[in-house]
Amino acid sequence: VSDQPSNRQLPEEILPSHVGYTPDEELLNQAWAPPKGLIPYIFTPVNHRIVGLRFIVTAFIFFVLGGILAVIMRTQLAAPELDVVSAELFQQLFSVHGATMMFFFAVPMFEGLGIYLVPLMIGARDMAMPRLGAYGYWTYVIAGVTLYVGLLIGHGADAGWFAHAPLSSSLEFTPKMGMDFWVTAIGLLEISALVAAVELVVTIFKMRAPGMSLSRMPIFVWAILIMSFMIIFAMPAVLLATITIGLDRLVGTHFFNVALGGDSVLYKHIFWFFGHPEVYIIFTPALGVVAAVLVTFVRRPLVAYSLVALSLVAMGILSFGVWVHHFFAVGIPPIGLSFFAAASMMVSIPSGIQIFAFIATVWQGKLVLKSPFVFLIGFVFTFVLGGVTGVMLAVVPFNWQVHDSYFVVAHLHYVLIGGAVFPMFAGLIYWFPKFTGRMLDERLNLWAFWLLLIGFHVAFFIQHLLGFMGMSRRVYTYSADLGWGSYNLVSTVGAYLIALGVLVFIANVVKSFVQGEKAPDDPWGGPSLEWSIASPPPQYNFLYLPVVSGRHPLWDGIEPDGEGDTAADRGIRARPQVRDDVRESFGTSLMDAEPESRVNLVAPTYWPFLAAVATGVIFVGAMFTLWAVPVGALLFYFTLIGWHWPFSKELAS
Amino acid sequence: MSVRPYTPKLDPHPLGPKEVTWWGMLLLITIEIVIFSGLIASYFYLKLYNPEWPPAGIDKKQVLLPTINTMILILSSVSIYFADKGIKAGKQTQLKVGQALAMLFGLVFLTLKVVEYSGYDYNWATHAYGSITWTMTGFHSAHVISVFLKGMVVLAMALRGMFTPERHVAVEINGLYWHFVVVIWLPLYFTMYISPWL
Repeated sequence: VSDQPSNRQLPEEILPSHVGYTPDEELLNQAWAPPKGLIPYIFTPVNHRIVGLRFIVTAFIFFVLGGILAVIMRTQLAAPELDVVSAELFQQLFSVHGATMMFFFAVPMFEGLGIYLVPLMIGARDMAMPRLGAYGYWTYVIAGVTLYVGLLIGHGADAGWFAHAPLSSSLEFTPKMGMDFWVTAIGLLEISALVAAVELVVTIFKMRAPGMSLSRMPIFVWAILIMSFMIIFAMPAVLLATITIGLDRLVGTHFFNVALGGDSVLYKHIFWFFGHPEVYIIFTPALGVVAAVLVTFVRRPLVAYSLVALSLVAMGILSFGVWVHHFFAVGIPPIGLSFFAAASMMVSIPSGIQIFAFIATVWQGKLVLKSPFVFLIGFVFTFVLGGVTGVMLAVVPFNWQVHDSYFVVAHLHYVLIGGAVFPMFAGLIYWFPKFTGRMLDERLNLWAFWLLLIGFHVAFFIQHLLGFMGMSRRVYTYSADLGWGSYNLVSTVGAYLIALGVLVFIANVVKSFVQGEKAPDDPWGGPSLEWSIASPPPQYNFLYLPVVSGRHPLWDGIEPDGEGDTAADRGIRARPQVRDDVRESFGTSLMDAEPESRVNLVAPTYWPFLAAVATGVIFVGAMFTLWAVPVGALLFYFTLIGWHWPFSKELAS
Repeated sequence: MSVRPYTPKLDPHPLGPKEVTWWGMLLLITIEIVIFSGLIASYFYLKLYNPEWPPAGIDKKQVLLPTINTMILILSSVSIYFADKGIKAGKQTQLKVGQALAMLFGLVFLTLKVVEYSGYDYNWATHAYGSITWTMTGFHSAHVISVFLKGMVVLAMALRGMFTPERHVAVEINGLYWHFVVVIWLPLYFTMYISPWL
């Protein structure tokens, strides 16, 4: 591998594996043409690149919205006894801020990256079930709009992002409609996240390029696979949490009403069974981004690939055994405390393996210091600090001492911003050329980086100290004689620096999108298949359906010639059977990616949008009348019939 | 290598694990299993922290009617199996009869549920026990209604002769979900009707 980015234009070269296979470019262009006209273009696309980019852009908008709420809160806290916002509004601000960042930014952002990149990395022409992605996107939009409409009309969620019962479930404690909006928005968002996860798993299982056995998948694809499985096992719990809260509020059940046999700790178990894996649902794909960027910029395959893949799996499983550490202070039997404390500490083993594998990779490689890699340095620096405070919090007595203080606020922002936001920026910069065909301005990237890094540590490091001094989280103000004023002012200045950094990044995106330098196919010299095609990719992704015979298809230099006896060779021989005149791609076996079928992929359609609207009728309508549930369900049923009915003449005959 | 190895024939209409929707359905079932497990765990959690469960004034549920009803639900699953076997062998009539029978059994199950629950003098708003049992039953019944509605579409397609032994993915996927709805009832049945007697 050369030390410098290669700038190669792969499709123009005729590789040995392309010989004897001439796909009809014109037919492909017709089959994969995006919908024409404004209305169809908005509502009907199902292609993974359009849907994926929409997820990414929408998630970034929610990142900005959540950030604006944070800046308002920090302004209120900048000095003692300010009156920028009322106590009541402050409560809604931090609840909606938390819900936005956890549910509406982090998860959809990485799902969006997955939906855009996975098919490109595994050599497929689209996701396995393209309509499901579009449906997920529209439910996500309806969910997000619902949450913010609530806030704007003065009924924002007001029981924290985790909505502990009975505060959230009893009309006596939260009489406004804020929690109804929360239940509706989160319920819809879960559906969106779940369908995207199902779609990602099926795509990764069944549509990899021939020869791309599980052990040859890029680590990013592994990470998306594990994230999706974690969503599938964790998110139903929060769906149950929202359903039970909703039932308690709307039809008068007593799940969390202690007077009539309910139990409020039950809610904590249901919610945090999801809530802790949620952190890893966010962090695992971020690690995938780290691995992808890292490997490219040190120009060396990842050290201990199998161990890293297995440690991701282990982390995914272990994260389901730690949920109680979120409420150690609630009164848990000692044996329970010990178990969950031990499990919490055990998570540091797989995390350690990953970090050391990354370090070893850098150690052996030849570093190319570009801005995506600089963001990785910010990630390691920040995240390790968050990890250290995490180990501190796993110690039960320490946990009791700082419980619900600003120490916890600092810790979770170190983990989430360090562990997810820095890698996210690295990934966005790294793949921006692929998304848009333009390069981002390197100088502005570095400006954004330094503003974010410095702003972040100024804003949050000092909050550890505030926690020790006894400042409780969620307070809307504090009295001057506590002596917290100057600390809080510093923290607020940091928050403004972060906001400035994000603004610089947005300005860079806008500027580069319009007049940025044109991106070559492979601006960084990356190893995986997405760099083998044009930037931005053609509508059908791959003119020549790729086959794979190593972990780094663009580096290995091994080209199967179609004569041998491997899955890749068989893929080359079977390849001409995949049709060019309709949307199709390879279907391959789960383990070894042996070619076995042609997967039919649908063209643009309105049904996913209509189905999402019907789903919205169920959830949003239920806030006002329960009749919305059967009516919406019936509408949903009819949209699903339209969705699935085989309109093609081929089948009817 | 002197002998040129074989070229696989790509199947345009795969079934079972070769088919993407089959995997999608399996994952949907996984999601649903987590939700149902959460409900069952909640039932036992509430039982653990309630001194009397079911609460005073409520008899333990009678098992005769629910047991008969469970048998009826299992019969619907058998019918679905029968229908699936039919289309695999190209027997259109067997498909139609099996599908129609399954829907009939489903309808009987729902009717008997209504009969059973209208006999109770408590509802979801009476106490936590009422909340969890009505929710479990209501959630499951919603699933039976949904497989019934899906079954109507499959039956309509079967009556139009749209399935062949090679192409019947709708029958297969719908059947998979139907079996799930029946099988997941068994732990719910055990939780609500048998466990109070143990």
